[in-house]
Amino acid sequence: MNKLDDDKIRLLLVDDEEGFRSTISKRLTKRGMKPVQASDGKECLDILEKEPMDVVILDVKMPGISGIDTLKAIKQTHKKIQVILLTGNVAITDGIEGIKAGAFDYLTKPVEIDHLVNKIKQAFEMIRLEKEKQKELEYRAKLEKKMIDTDRLVSLGTMSTGIAHEINNPLAIINESAGFMKYILGTPEMLKIPRRDALMMGIGKIEKSIKRAGRITHQLLGHVKKQESTLSETDIMPLLHETLGLLEKDIKDKQIKINWEIDKKKNIVWIDPYQMRQVLMNLLNNAVHALKENGSITLTTSESNDDIILEIKDNGIGIPKENLGKIFDPFFTTKSFDEGTGLGLFVVHKIVSSLNGKIDVTSKVGKGTCFQLRLPKYDKSNK
Amino acid sequence: MIKIPAKVLIVDDEKDFVEMFSLRLTEQGEKVSTAHSGKEALKVLETVAIDVVILDIRMPGMDGIDTLKQIKALHPVVEVILLTGHGSTETAVEGMKLGAFDYLMKPADFEDIKIKLENARKRKDEQEERIRKAELRLLLRSSGDL
Repeated sequence: MNKLDDDKIRLLLVDDEEGFRSTISKRLTKRGMKPVQASDGKECLDILEKEPMDVVILDVKMPGISGIDTLKAIKQTHKKIQVILLTGNVAITDGIEGIKAGAFDYLTKPVEIDHLVNKIKQAFEMIRLEKEKQKELEYRAKLEKKMIDTDRLVSLGTMSTGIAHEINNPLAIINESAGFMKYILGTPEMLKIPRRDALMMGIGKIEKSIKRAGRITHQLLGHVKKQESTLSETDIMPLLHETLGLLEKDIKDKQIKINWEIDKKKNIVWIDPYQMRQVLMNLLNNAVHALKENGSITLTTSESNDDIILEIKDNGIGIPKENLGKIFDPFFTTKSFDEGTGLGLFVVHKIVSSLNGKIDVTSKVGKGTCFQLRLPKYDKSNK
Repeated sequence: MIKIPAKVLIVDDEKDFVEMFSLRLTEQGEKVSTAHSGKEALKVLETVAIDVVILDIRMPGMDGIDTLKQIKALHPVVEVILLTGHGSTETAVEGMKLGAFDYLMKPADFEDIKIKLENARKRKDEQEERIRKAELRLLLRSSGDL
C-alpha cells in the first residue's frame, strides 16, 4: 500500500490526554495520515454521526463513557468501522474484552508509532477485503436470482407448450361441433324454428372464442424450438426497416420519431433472421404502444468482444418497478385481452435465449423503457 | 353446378373429432370414411376407393408420418392432407416432402379445409387423367407397331 492510499484512510483518534493526542497526531501526519481528534467517547460518537470514518484509534481509559462502551456503541451503529484500542500497560484484560466486543486489535501504551501505523494499515486492508466480500456476495445473489428466473421461465415454457398441445385437440372438437350445428341451423328445414337467432348468436360466440383460444395456443407453440433453425450471418438493419414498415401506420398516426444511432460496422449478427424478425416485431410494437403522440424510439448498436448490443429505447409511459420482474412471464399483461395475449415478451425471451443471446430491460415510469438485446457476432457453438 | 363428392378418409385417434368432422363433411356432400389409427386407415384404403386422406400427425402406435409413407407406397395417387395439433410445423413440412399435399393446424378453419380438400381432389383427378392419357398413347403405339 502506498502513501496515496494511506492518505485516503479516514482516521479518528480518541484520547482524553491532549498532549498524547497531539504527539501521535503529529507523527501520523508525518507518515501521510491525517487523523481527526476527539477528547472523549461522546465527542467520538458525535463526530461519527456527521463524518464517515474507516478506522478509530480509541483509548480505553477515559472519563465519561468508557472506551469499551464507546467501542460497543460504534460497533452497533457503524459496523464497518474498525477500532484499534489503546490500553494501559497493566490492563491487558481490557484489550481482550475489547476484541471480544469487536475491536480489530489492541496496542499497549506507550505506543510505538510504526507499530500503530502498521495496525492502522492492516485495519484498513480488512475493511477493503470485507467490502470486496460483500460485493461478491451481492453479485452472487443477483446471479442466483437471475438463474432462478431463467429456470422458472424455461419450466413455464415447457409446461405451457404441453398444455397448448393438449388443448388444441378438444378445441378442434368444439370447433367441428359448433360448425356442424351452425350448418344444421342453416339448412332450409331449420329456418323457421323458434329462437333460431338466439342459437345462432350462441354459436357465433363459441366460434369467436375458439379463434381466440386458438390464437393463444398457436402463439405458445409458434416459438417451439425449431429442429433446424437456420442461423446465419444477418444484417439487422434491413430487419429493423422491414419491421418498422409493418408498423408504419401506427408510427405515422402517433407521429413517432425514429432515431437511428446504428453503427454501420456493428450490425452483423449470427442469428435466425425469421425468429429475429418476430423478436423485433414484438419489441417495436410494444415501444409504439407505450408511446403517446410525438414520442420517439431510439435504436442504438454497440459491441462487446462476442456480442452486438442492440438497444430499443422509447420515451413512453414506462414499466412500474413492481412489474419489471414479471414482464417476461407468460400471460402477464396490462393490456386487455383483445390487445395482447401476454405472451409477446415471453416468446421474445425464449427466442433470444435459444439464439444464444440475452435480453435485459431498464425502465422508469413516465420516462420510458429500454430493451437491451445482446446477440452473438459469430457461431459460438463452433468455437 | 353439381358438386362431385370427394371420397374422404379421416384418420385421427380423437374419436369425437372424427365423428364431428365426418358429420360436417358429409353434410357438405362429401363421401366420408373414418379410421382411428394408421393401421385401420390402411385397411380402409384396401377396400374403399379414396381420393383424399385427412391424417392426424400425432397418433399412438403408427404415427401420421409412418402412415403417410405407407399410403404413398401402396396408393401413390391418393392425396394426403396432414392435421397437426402442435405448432411445430416442421413435421408437417417433412410430411409434404414425403408427398403430402398440404397440412392444416388444429383447430382448423372450415373454409380452409374445404379449399385444400377441393384442390387435393383436383390434383388427384388430373393425375389420374394424365395416367389414362399416357396409357391410351401406349395402347395406340402398341397397336401401331402391329
